[in-house]
Amino acid sequence: MTEDIKIVNTLHFGDMEVEPSHIFDFEGGMLGFEDLKEFVLVSHEDYDPFKWLISIDNPDIGFPMLNPFFLDEGYKAGKDIDLEKEVVFCVVTLGGVGEIMTANLKAPIIMNISQNKGRQIILTSDKYSPTYEIKIK
Amino acid sequence: MLVLSRKIGEQITIGNSVKVTVLSFDRGIVRLGIDAPKSISVHRKEVHDKIVEVNQKAVKTETKALKSVIASGQIQINENIPKNNIEAPAINFSANKES
Repeated sequence: MTEDIKIVNTLHFGDMEVEPSHIFDFEGGMLGFEDLKEFVLVSHEDYDPFKWLISIDNPDIGFPMLNPFFLDEGYKAGKDIDLEKEVVFCVVTLGGVGEIMTANLKAPIIMNISQNKGRQIILTSDKYSPTYEIKIK
Repeated sequence: MLVLSRKIGEQITIGNSVKVTVLSFDRGIVRLGIDAPKSISVHRKEVHDKIVEVNQKAVKTETKALKSVIASGQIQINENIPKNNIEAPAINFSANKES
């Protein structure tokens, strides 16, 4: 087990010990980042309740994410999603302090925890915005 | 670029599994019907491009700014919502454990 742990030097979290069980296979990559196939999910106190999706192929790349249900209780990430096996996140952007924070509800990330597979899908519904504003008081 | 002329009702195939049918043409708008397996995602290009743009912006998110906005407690989200039933395996950092 321990010999399978690899150290990945990440931009956001420095050296990170990655076990095989942490790695999610994104066969199609993320949209615009099709070459990146392996990601890990990172939780850090300073960012709670946000998470980071960090690329193993290019550890300088990380996507901040949030549980979309925190923003929309009735959020539907497509009818094929099995919430017993799959976890849903949305990608967050924040250019800087004072700028608008957005969540991409149009293209959620689906992570299947029984297969350690992930994908970013685009929902057909026009109900969800790719730049949903997260209100800051 | 391959250019094909088609009449209304005619089709083209892409690979073995994708079929595109020209449904109608009216006032400069072409309506296309697309049959593709679920594994192939089909979207208007501008929608796809927008998602790419948002992803590119996301990876440039200022970590300092994000941390300070979170620390301010001013983000209006509702964490008390019944959410995913399960937790994904994550690498966990706490501030004191950080290398």
